[in-house]
Amino acid sequence: MKIIKRTIIVVFCLLLIPVAAIATAGAKQRFEDGPNRVFSGGPLVTGELHLGPDPDWSFVSDIPTIEMQLLDPAQSRRIWIAEYENKIYVWSGYMGNPIGRLWKQWPIQAERDGRAVIRINGIRYERQLKRLRTGDVLDGLTAAITAKYPSATTRAAVEAGDVWVFEAAPRS
Amino acid sequence: MKNFNIFTAVAVVATILAVLFIPGVDDYVERTFQVYLGRAAR
Repeated sequence: MKIIKRTIIVVFCLLLIPVAAIATAGAKQRFEDGPNRVFSGGPLVTGELHLGPDPDWSFVSDIPTIEMQLLDPAQSRRIWIAEYENKIYVWSGYMGNPIGRLWKQWPIQAERDGRAVIRINGIRYERQLKRLRTGDVLDGLTAAITAKYPSATTRAAVEAGDVWVFEAAPRS
Repeated sequence: MKNFNIFTAVAVVATILAVLFIPGVDDYVERTFQVYLGRAAR
């Protein structure tokens, strides 16, 4: 019995080292200008702020990920982006189950306050995230998503609430 | 067992300091975490 107890303690202690490393790296990233890979970053500070009309967004088709920050809370993360009919969209999967909703907090925060800043190629754009729940646009958009990424996003998944899709519209 | 506990405490503190102050360690940790996260998500 004693050896089992000791084994559990040893395993726990050895696990503590990588857990400390991950927690520290995650906490450190919160103070950086933007995210790195998977950990959320701090506010997007550097980069020219785009003013004026929207550009031709078709160039985002060649960009794998962008940095996106909500104003409240002021945290940023790296996410996928799709362009369809010269509008840009971001989305989050795994929203249909409790673990996914616990893991992915930004869609819930974005629905509450959609003000966001995105940074693409070092240029920051002020946007307003507007959630799309249904509509014919989802057919073309999900086709654009699955053509660009290894994703199984479908209109049905969006309408069922498993995938939350937001248009990153200009902030007026 | 007491020595092991001291070793663990020192290792945890050394890990935290390394991630905080040695350039590239934080990125290595995040990259490794990303690999395991990716496997778990599939």
